[in-house]
Amino acid sequence: MAKIDLSNISHSYNPNDPNPVYALNPFSMTWENGNRYAILGPSGCGKTTMLNIVSGLVRPSAGRILFDDKDVTDLKTEDRNIAQVFQFPVIYNTMTVYENLAFPLKCRDFSKSKTDERVNSVAETLNLKSFLNSPARKLTADQKQLISLGRGLVREDVAAVLMDEPLTVIDPDLKFRLRRNLKEINEQYKTTLVYVTHDQNEAMTFADNIIVMSEGEVVQTGSPKELFERPNTTFVGYFIGSPAMNLFESEVSSNDSVKINNNLIKTRTNLSNIKTKNIKLGIRSEFIKIAQNQNENLINVNVEKVEDLGNYKLITAKMGNFTIKSKVTRETEIPNQNVKLHIPAEKCCVYEDNKLI
Amino acid sequence: MNKLYIFLKYFFIVVWTVFVVAPFLWALTTSFKDFQSVNGGVTYIPWVDFEPNLEGWKVLIKSPAKGGVDIIEPYFNSLFVTCTASLISIILGTLSAYALSRYTFKAGFVKNNDITFFFISQRIMPPIVLSIPFFLFLSSINLLDSLTGLIVVYIVLLMPIAVWIMVDFFNKVPREIDETALIDGCNPYQAFLKVVLPNSIPGLIVAGMFCIIFGWIDFFFAFILTFTEVQLLPVKIVALNSSVTPWWSLSASALVSVAPLIIVAFIVERYLSKGNLSGAIK
Repeated sequence: MAKIDLSNISHSYNPNDPNPVYALNPFSMTWENGNRYAILGPSGCGKTTMLNIVSGLVRPSAGRILFDDKDVTDLKTEDRNIAQVFQFPVIYNTMTVYENLAFPLKCRDFSKSKTDERVNSVAETLNLKSFLNSPARKLTADQKQLISLGRGLVREDVAAVLMDEPLTVIDPDLKFRLRRNLKEINEQYKTTLVYVTHDQNEAMTFADNIIVMSEGEVVQTGSPKELFERPNTTFVGYFIGSPAMNLFESEVSSNDSVKINNNLIKTRTNLSNIKTKNIKLGIRSEFIKIAQNQNENLINVNVEKVEDLGNYKLITAKMGNFTIKSKVTRETEIPNQNVKLHIPAEKCCVYEDNKLI
Repeated sequence: MNKLYIFLKYFFIVVWTVFVVAPFLWALTTSFKDFQSVNGGVTYIPWVDFEPNLEGWKVLIKSPAKGGVDIIEPYFNSLFVTCTASLISIILGTLSAYALSRYTFKAGFVKNNDITFFFISQRIMPPIVLSIPFFLFLSSINLLDSLTGLIVVYIVLLMPIAVWIMVDFFNKVPREIDETALIDGCNPYQAFLKVVLPNSIPGLIVAGMFCIIFGWIDFFFAFILTFTEVQLLPVKIVALNSSVTPWWSLSASALVSVAPLIIVAFIVERYLSKGNLSGAIK
């Protein structure tokens, strides 16, 4: 277990090219000991590169990596004491399940009794106990992935367990149970877990800190609540949450209000220093409700469709050229055509050039 | 439709079996015939069509002084040269192939694929082109007409096959296997020996099989590079021929010489059919 510092890390796969393309733009970040982190972003945004840099499979073009303040940038993978689980199960075909799980301990000369104890404990947690003597290659894809996961968890002193979309091949039911198991393992052993995913639900339910990435850039780091309520950029607003955040092109009207389609919307943001005209108002559909007796921040919309999604209703409405989505409770009565919606000022996010003010 | 399919399937299996087995049966029966039985019309069934005898087989173990050819020493020479050369080729070829598959080499415009092609290009050349250089080379280091000289030449000939097969095989073994082994605490050599190599046994078997076959059946270099001190089986078998073709002893020697390859084929088939080729990933 260790505190991991990534200091001014950047990476290019063609650093000697006159115009190198950066898979990771410079960033700094600290992963505290024992926390759960999720790296979230679309495919090709640099998530796996970041993991490979931490595990030592890739040497960063610039920057330093520190484990507990010790510089490990030039340390080989095998000397970093890190565990990594890949997207597809990687097992040692010629070994049994027991031998697979015991392999990282054997490589580090653990005693037989300690190995037995750790392998049995991990096999118990991952429901692999009855397969311990079976050849690993005979197991199903999700059982194989459990073996990969088990090899990552079998060392108690590991600096961090890095997981690169590890549950892709696993059944949804088991996925849910495993995520809970991982959380329990984290709480019990205080292992730092880093989980790469492009699935926001997975990230939100698993991690206490989420790192959102886009095109090689770390765009925001924060708790699921922070990311949901105050996205730093319109990309985060769009990427996190289902449906995505409502974003409206707006004009600044006063120091704290904007105009959308001739409707005045008050915000809690100081807009006196705005320099550009590229202003957007962002608001989550969860916060937009049908107006009751409010008298400001109201917009008139035409309801286009109402979808019943089980535990809530999703209203899709039009205001001029803008489409608005609002999540309301199932019990809410929705008039057929014109509706007045209320936009709470404290939940409004104003973006200048796609960045939160 | 289904019955017709089954009928056709078995029909072709029977035709193919006859096609494959007939030469062996022919060689087997001929090896027990004598001059009379071979030249006195078509005969098939022993004790009915002809009286079997062991003359053809005895010639193979009788010393030349007693009118035989004595293939025992050449047989073991062939076994020794083929096995040693194949083993060394597989070891060197596997190491080279792993390096070519996992690391990037660059010298000017020459890259990994070019190096792999360079290896295999040694086999594209007609053997006759290589014969004079090999002859001069072995002569200069005093290894002409020796087992060591033949082993050296066969390593040169067999290693490209091992490299070619193993590069392709290692390319199909996911890099994540090596990376996982490194993460689990192996150094790159241990990752290769403990994890990648055991996963590559099917590839090693195939490469080994090809090396053994090509080494065992070679006549050309064995003929050119050896004289009196050392002889290999193919050269000795050819020496059996005379103005009257001794079909009986030729058949016996053919069966004896093909036996090791049949044993290898059986062993390899058992390994490959176990499903060891199934992936370590997914």
